[in-house]
Amino acid sequence: MRTKSVVVLCASSVFIGAFGPVLAAENGPGPKVYSGKGAADDLARIDTVVVIYAENRSFDNLYGSFPGANGVAKASASTRLQRDRDGKPFRELPPVWENLTAKGVTPPVTQAETEHLPNHPFYLDDPKGFKLSYGTITHDLWHRFYQNQMQINGGRNDKFVAHADSGALVMSLWDGSKTAMWKVAQKYVLADNFFMGGFGGSFFNHQWLVCACAPTYPNADTNPAKPSIAVVEPDGVTLKEAANSPKSAMEGIPKYVSDGNLTPDFYAVNTMQPPYQPSGNDPAKDGDKAYADPAKPTTLPPQLEPTIGDMLSLKRITWAWYGGAWQDTLDHGYKSPVPNFQFHHQPLNYYASFAPGTAARAEHLRDGGLAGTEFIKAIDDGKLPQVSFYKPQGDLNEHSGYADILSGDSHIADVVAHLEKSPQWPHMLVVVTYDENGGLWDHVAPPKGDRWGPGSRIPAIVVSPFARHGYVDHTPMDTTSILRFITRRFELPTLHGITVRDTAIAAHGQKPLGDLTSALVLKDK
Amino acid sequence: MDVDKVTALISAAGIELTDRRRNGTDDGWSLSFSNGAVVEVRDNGEISHSGKGAEAVARLLGQP
Repeated sequence: MRTKSVVVLCASSVFIGAFGPVLAAENGPGPKVYSGKGAADDLARIDTVVVIYAENRSFDNLYGSFPGANGVAKASASTRLQRDRDGKPFRELPPVWENLTAKGVTPPVTQAETEHLPNHPFYLDDPKGFKLSYGTITHDLWHRFYQNQMQINGGRNDKFVAHADSGALVMSLWDGSKTAMWKVAQKYVLADNFFMGGFGGSFFNHQWLVCACAPTYPNADTNPAKPSIAVVEPDGVTLKEAANSPKSAMEGIPKYVSDGNLTPDFYAVNTMQPPYQPSGNDPAKDGDKAYADPAKPTTLPPQLEPTIGDMLSLKRITWAWYGGAWQDTLDHGYKSPVPNFQFHHQPLNYYASFAPGTAARAEHLRDGGLAGTEFIKAIDDGKLPQVSFYKPQGDLNEHSGYADILSGDSHIADVVAHLEKSPQWPHMLVVVTYDENGGLWDHVAPPKGDRWGPGSRIPAIVVSPFARHGYVDHTPMDTTSILRFITRRFELPTLHGITVRDTAIAAHGQKPLGDLTSALVLKDK
Repeated sequence: MDVDKVTALISAAGIELTDRRRNGTDDGWSLSFSNGAVVEVRDNGEISHSGKGAEAVARLLGQP
């Protein structure tokens, strides 16, 4: 099958340049994980894969009290204890700057009410504490590429507060046991050793979901993006603090010389806007209305790396990315607080392969509808492609600052209920996960990987008739484990970033990252 | 309201700061956010906003 793939690739001159890295990876050093034909035969029982991608929750934040999981109760005292920027333990946590609750929430939880919290995790829904409900929108938290690494602090996870913009809030937890998705996790498989593919935020992690790669901005130092280049200490991980930065997190939010979107060698690691509409950046005056103004410093140039979508298309596997409120935003523009479409949550809209006017865009970048109606219709009609990605619209994605847990969790549970009744259900695998931790503390050290990740631990739920029902899967995995499954199931060429990650994990003596099959029982079914 | 306060209020609402630089006339800061809003915070305290998410940031800043 590997040989066949290469022949197909070479038959198309269009693909030769674009897939160079893949060919190199296929022939280069590193683990060859996906060559077993027998495994693919077993996996052929699954012919529909659905990935549902929510927002910004660490594992401990939402599932830290799940029975049988590696939860908060198992966190060591040293991990629960947070340290200031000078390495000394806090006597108490700093307050949540600018209030714990989002603007407009009544009654608010003010900054003053969050003063003097003890130096350990606390529950937001504690009836003796803040008594918040899942329907409360809370303050957002930094979730950025360099800060995430500084917070993880080599696996100690003791600098989350020190490098945050939200004080104590990073240590907040929820008793998630009353959520609808908690029940889904109890019925199927909760993975409790699953990490976000890349350090930092949504932009970067969505890229990891589709490409297992860091986007690039060529020659960023000679164009308007230059001020967005981060200034980093020689270790390549620590942002250079500004002279006027508060010395202690008790005194305020840290300041940096340049906390930009680009690394010093021009990889885009924090939020940039798509080069195509819908984008946060308007078209250039007199420019193509389907494009974003390329002269804007936050417009990322079209990306050329192969994605999992390219690989699926190469093997004639049907697939689609369903973006909630995609068409509504194209037709009527950005609206908030509902649907609050997020431009940087549509990762394939950054790629030249899916530029406006291409057949690939029309076929694969689909409208999920308002509140997921179009996606749900495809589910109910049994018309999902072999691989689907579903991104809920902003108000339904569980992101702090503009969304609550209840709305998104209920929506996703409803989508799962539709999937369970779909004509395609008997041969389906569904993965519900979060793009990243949203800046929220988690006590488990991520596996040592490559320059880009893995980052903090996030929840992941595997739903399928083939799932090990009522099971907590401790296998180490990350976002690329989803790509590993898709790659193995459909016998695709391996994306270069997966090969690099496998090699890095092995070089650090870590256990190999799984491909979701540990959550399944495929034989004798 | 200074530039740090404006940034904090908008970021707290989950609208990520994507660019911060001195404006073209060097009399204030130009801030870009993930929802497409651009906020000008002049050194004299004047604030103006434009772009796709301008209405959302205006609400957060208590401005018309």
